[in-house]
Amino acid sequence: MGTPGVAVTGLARAAFSAFRVSIRLRVISPWAYLNWLVFPVLFAAVGLYVLSSPGAASSHVVYGVLGGGLIGYWSVAYLEGGNGIQEERWNGTLEQIFATPTPLWVILLGKICGGLLFGLLAFLPTAAFAYVGFHAVLPALDGGRFVISLGVLTLSFFCIALTLTPLFALWRWAFSMLNGFELGVYVLCGFMFPVAVLAPWAQGVAGFLAPTWAVRALYASTLAEGPHNFATWWLATIGLSLAYLAGAYFLYALVERRARMSGQLALA
Amino acid sequence: MKRLALEAGVFGRSTYLQYVALFQWANPQGYVAYKVLLPVTQILFFVELGVYATGRQNALYFALGNALQLTANAGIFGVIATVANERQYGTLPILLASPANRLITFLSRAVVNVIDGIATVVIGLAIVVVIYGLNLQHANLLLLALCVVVISLTTAGLGLMFGSIGLVMRDAIIIANIVYYVLLIICGINFPVSRLPGAVQVLAYALPLTRGVQAARDAAAGASLGQVGGLLAGELLVGLMWALGGYLLFRLLENWARRGGLQEAF
Amino acid sequence: MTTNPAIEARQLRKTYTTTRGVFRRERVERAALRGVDLKIAKGELFGLLGPNGAGKTTMVKIFTTLLLPASGTALVLGLDAVKDQWALRKRIGFVFGGERGLYWRLSGLDNLRYFADLYRVPPEVSRRRIPELLERLDLAGREKDRVELYSRGMKQRLHLARGLLNDPEVLFLDEPTIGLDPVGARELRVIVRELADAGKTVFLTTHYMFEADAICDRLAVIRDGVIVAEGTPSSIKTLVHDQGIVEFEVVGMPVERLAGLRSLPGVRSVAISEHELAQVVTVHCARPADVMTRLGVILDGIKLEKVSSREPTLEDAYVQLIGENPTNSEASP
Repeated sequence: MGTPGVAVTGLARAAFSAFRVSIRLRVISPWAYLNWLVFPVLFAAVGLYVLSSPGAASSHVVYGVLGGGLIGYWSVAYLEGGNGIQEERWNGTLEQIFATPTPLWVILLGKICGGLLFGLLAFLPTAAFAYVGFHAVLPALDGGRFVISLGVLTLSFFCIALTLTPLFALWRWAFSMLNGFELGVYVLCGFMFPVAVLAPWAQGVAGFLAPTWAVRALYASTLAEGPHNFATWWLATIGLSLAYLAGAYFLYALVERRARMSGQLALA
Repeated sequence: MKRLALEAGVFGRSTYLQYVALFQWANPQGYVAYKVLLPVTQILFFVELGVYATGRQNALYFALGNALQLTANAGIFGVIATVANERQYGTLPILLASPANRLITFLSRAVVNVIDGIATVVIGLAIVVVIYGLNLQHANLLLLALCVVVISLTTAGLGLMFGSIGLVMRDAIIIANIVYYVLLIICGINFPVSRLPGAVQVLAYALPLTRGVQAARDAAAGASLGQVGGLLAGELLVGLMWALGGYLLFRLLENWARRGGLQEAF
Repeated sequence: MTTNPAIEARQLRKTYTTTRGVFRRERVERAALRGVDLKIAKGELFGLLGPNGAGKTTMVKIFTTLLLPASGTALVLGLDAVKDQWALRKRIGFVFGGERGLYWRLSGLDNLRYFADLYRVPPEVSRRRIPELLERLDLAGREKDRVELYSRGMKQRLHLARGLLNDPEVLFLDEPTIGLDPVGARELRVIVRELADAGKTVFLTTHYMFEADAICDRLAVIRDGVIVAEGTPSSIKTLVHDQGIVEFEVVGMPVERLAGLRSLPGVRSVAISEHELAQVVTVHCARPADVMTRLGVILDGIKLEKVSSREPTLEDAYVQLIGENPTNSEASP
């Protein structure tokens, strides 16, 4: 079976191939444009109008500049896990990729990276819309901290997508549930307004979600006022993300077994 | 009499297909996700956004607007799903070949979806009223109920247009998705229409919801039927225009298909 | 031929559990395989015949590591399909019939490149092998078109190309000709036969009798998860030895002359029916050819007309094997 080096190269090539296919499928899918281009701008529009309502604090508008992008980024990233799997099931390719000598997580790794790259695009049209339509900018942008926060957020999205995918592969209803709860995620992770406005119990739940802290850091890096505990927030996101990954490890083993017990990968 | 039985039959079959489309969830989780979780979280998101921007005293404004906008969910996507089912079960050619009244055939697609829309609004509104402890003591509840019924009818009218578009465009649901969110922006759901650019305001008043939501807000503040009658009449007229437009498109497509121009549509 | 079989099943069993109902969930157990034993030699083209829901697909999925058996052992190339799946997946290929299982919006070439990487075929090998496969499966020239523009036959050949990317030693084909037009199906059968002739072990499932008869070296018939017959196509046909027919017309034949026919070896029954001017004689027998050669002797002096005979077909055998008390008609997943 060759040396470990050869095996790693082969796995890396398989992951890259999955990444390439994920990008290609996205470039030609109208739904992908809806998710990274159209919906984020529509959400940004509502957000910017509401956040710039008469009487609203001027710092609020930051949430309109980045909120649409965050929503788009999240949708694309988690949809790669959910819709991606669902689509492969419909196409009948889920079973095909499952049967290859490449472990499912390697394939998903590539696909999710493709999703993240596309999701990041969502920040471009939303920020442009905010600037052109509302002359809204990020008033006190700390470039370095902003980029690190975005990187940490990306890590959390990556870990979540990797964890959710086996869940979706096993239980189709899990995808319906999360899909139904999508706007709830926007609320709990503070994509368009701070989590601090929520009821205490909701804030408690939000604290267990990895993106919440990175999003908080991201907004803090654009605002002069407020606490700036970046290191704590970043670590919270990283810690929670790694905890999800640990859970994912067991989920993948379970998928391998459960899928082969019931043969449900074949079902449309 | 025979004629009546025929119309009733067509009506019944179409209603059944809508029912199937409505309850096509393979499991109860799917129903909970899309008919309960999705509407409620959608209202919560926009209410929280509005409260953050403008203060807790405005919660009712956002709750009402977003709850009423949910009728568009039932109206637009419900009708599209019905058309998709007609296509899947191959019942459309049967309907078209029958001597049944075209208008009735066409309108019957929206019946269940109107009822579903009303139910969605009532459930959604009830949940947010409880969560935010909203005060409806001064509200003219009967008039508010009338507004809900009227808006459910008008958004279904818009849905009928998309049903017709859905016959020729496989990706009509994509456009419907966009329109759904556009309604959220320009129909005065989350901020007054007057803040929009002039041209967009004109479009807003050509769409369902805009007048109806205004009427509903007035009703919630205690207005009488006489005060909002004009708004509701306008709302109904707009809905009727869209339904009529959808019907004309439907007839156009039907003729086109008969002449062999549209193999795929029916 | 080595003594180690390429594919082996020992007492293979599989039960599916499905839940029914929305509110009151009810668990329903259905046995798909009930103790299957099979041995398939290297280089053999083996056909598994059976109606829908008999367990064909279940068997293929177990061998291709997609399903776990409830009990029993499934060995392919000496590897356990349950435990050694990673090693095994590299050495086998599989193709399921139908149009699904391809990325329709990608080109045929993109599909093959992707799966070559997933099958961990080294790039220097796949660069050479993909054009070869496209050429061999008559897809060359169309490889850059999107799969959705392909005909059904082309899609099926692309499926086969995908299944051959890792140059598998054993190839599993689950109803590969389903939905193909007769020409496309025949082309595919020719290719499959060539693959077996080139030394690959092929495990083919089908419910087309003539297909199995035409290309398989050996067959098994499965019914309700149980193998009910196994052997070469001709040996399976002999299971229905009394299904051959000889038929002829005579004019004015004394009935006692038929006794000679009845006494021939292998003759099961002789029936005579009166028509307006002639009598039609129908002989059910094991070997119609033997009866035909003796007809002249037994019925010496009688003028025979419209003599015809039909050998027992695999279909007769199949219908008899399957037709007895059919119970299970559910489609398998």
